[in-house]
Amino acid sequence: MSEAIWWAVARSEEISAEKPFNVDIGDQPIVLWRDTDGTVRALEDRCPHRRAPLSLGCILGSGAIQCGYHGWTFDGESGQLVDIPNLKSKRKYPPVYKAKPFGVHESAGFVRICLDAKAPPPADDGYALPLSGTSTVALEHGQYIAALFDDPSLLISIKGVRFSPYLLAELFEQEGQLVMERSCQWASPHWPAPFTSDFPISLRIATDPVTGESDLTLRDDEFNLLLQATLAPVPGARQVTQVRWRAMLSPERPGLAAKAMGLGAPLRVHDHIDGAALRVLKPSASIHADDLREEIAARTDQQDEVA
Amino acid sequence: MLEISDNPATSANDDPITSDPRQFSAKVNAWMPHEIMLTDAWFPLAHSFAVDKKPVRRAVYSQPFYLWRGSDGQVIAAENHPNDTLAGAKSEYTDESGHYPVLEKYGYVWGWLGTPENAAPEHVPSIPYLPEDGGLPLHMLGTVRFDCCAPLSLENLIDLTHADFIHADVVGDEKMDSETVEVFHDSETITMVRTCVNKSVAPIMKMFGGVRDDVQQVRQVIRIYLRSHAAIAYGRFSPGDNVQLFHPCVPETRDRTRLDYAMNTSNVKKSNLFRYIMPKASYKVSRQDSSMTSPQSPRYMRPEKRKDLHSPLDEAGQKYRVLMMALAERQARGDFAYRDDVSADCSNIIGYEKA
Repeated sequence: MSEAIWWAVARSEEISAEKPFNVDIGDQPIVLWRDTDGTVRALEDRCPHRRAPLSLGCILGSGAIQCGYHGWTFDGESGQLVDIPNLKSKRKYPPVYKAKPFGVHESAGFVRICLDAKAPPPADDGYALPLSGTSTVALEHGQYIAALFDDPSLLISIKGVRFSPYLLAELFEQEGQLVMERSCQWASPHWPAPFTSDFPISLRIATDPVTGESDLTLRDDEFNLLLQATLAPVPGARQVTQVRWRAMLSPERPGLAAKAMGLGAPLRVHDHIDGAALRVLKPSASIHADDLREEIAARTDQQDEVA
Repeated sequence: MLEISDNPATSANDDPITSDPRQFSAKVNAWMPHEIMLTDAWFPLAHSFAVDKKPVRRAVYSQPFYLWRGSDGQVIAAENHPNDTLAGAKSEYTDESGHYPVLEKYGYVWGWLGTPENAAPEHVPSIPYLPEDGGLPLHMLGTVRFDCCAPLSLENLIDLTHADFIHADVVGDEKMDSETVEVFHDSETITMVRTCVNKSVAPIMKMFGGVRDDVQQVRQVIRIYLRSHAAIAYGRFSPGDNVQLFHPCVPETRDRTRLDYAMNTSNVKKSNLFRYIMPKASYKVSRQDSSMTSPQSPRYMRPEKRKDLHSPLDEAGQKYRVLMMALAERQARGDFAYRDDVSADCSNIIGYEKA
């Protein structure tokens, strides 16, 4: 796992000052919590004493995290050991006595972690979309994104919307993101998609080429915004993908079908994937995504060489 | 403006279809249809009736076209929708106001993708059996889509032996006494003529066309205008009525194709159901085609070491591949000139019998 990538491993609501929270980036377990001023802290979820998960411990009034096994206590910002309660002393511990800290950044309702604690923080993303959720899917991260490109209906449902196989624009690069637009129909009875001349709605997906974090924009054919969402898939242990998402239904939605999106949950991110449908899913946009990623990577390498 | 007269017709030396079989075979097997993007061409983006005051959205190679009619009824083709706040920068395909060259002919709105200054009406393909000013009834028009690359759709079309198998329930099976395939080409077009002797009668003609015989004589012509990705499919059936189909395959993206077809059945008696049913057969036939071309398409996205195998009946498809690649190579070198005239009346070439 590359070091300088910021992964949206949690939603802000999931992290508290009461209970440590465990996530992982690939095979790297991480413990998250909030300290006394509400700042999110992230350490390797492994006590350097006897390797117990720190997430099984507790958060002290000081904002430090205490291992549940022998009480070793760590500062969240530096990871430095601050106390071994049974020693009953105020001694200072050598610098090597520390848990591994990670970079943390919180914005727009997501908590992002970088495995490189010294990495510069990413830009703030604006405001937090009010609807949110977490799903964990037994599908490898790269395959999850490929499925999002080739047929989003395997991964998500948008209320009253049916995704068609037809793209208004295949994947292209726009401001460093992989962008595509898919024609959609309302789920009400309609002429079958392969024989449809014009579609009433479209889904734009703008995806980070590395993390797969995707901004989804559902618009009608007059470009009125109906729904916007951010999907943040993160590779987890055992090739599972953890998906945090946030969404907002636009308050002004012209048309009956669009208004009906407000009844119940407008976006669902599936926990389970239909393996039979996935097996026969035609790779298309995902192949173009691989090509674009290679182009972007080659260009980045070139720029690095010049620098 | 591109002047056809300035560009001599393809000479034998320029002909990409070389007489050296090895060289030809190498080209055929280097077929990467998803990599081909031909510009400086008119694309039949929409039926004229489908374009009104509210913009409709079309695309060629993902390049957006918004089509609507101004107050004078003239069609406007713009790159961006005024309400699209996420649109990218303007491309080189439109003028300063973000408009593409556009015209109407044969009942279609044709949009030019390429250098705007090169757009010329004489580059619109000839379609002898469509009225130049349109006006065909709506039941002869329709839209179908293929989940595949446009050149694969056209390769599928020009290889009519597939029809005897996947469309057997519509156009008849492979049973016949003999079959010949002839192929003609220039730098902008390829024409395939298939002649079948005593072929099983197309079921749709038996069911709805009043044909009572068990066999019929068939002469089918497929003529593809390479740049526009548009084809003429003209069939003469005896006994039976001639079939006059315009079959454009607009590459909306590299892996999706839009077909706004026009099947002119005005040659069929008004009392004959075939006149009304035949154009609707496209809905069935297109899904049959898509069932094969959709899974086929991603298998042509990457270079492939194993060669496709061919039969003598694949001559047209093979030549289509080579001609498309030759045009793409020429365009990659900066040569966008039309060396052959696509708008000259092709009635004689396709053997069109005016009703």
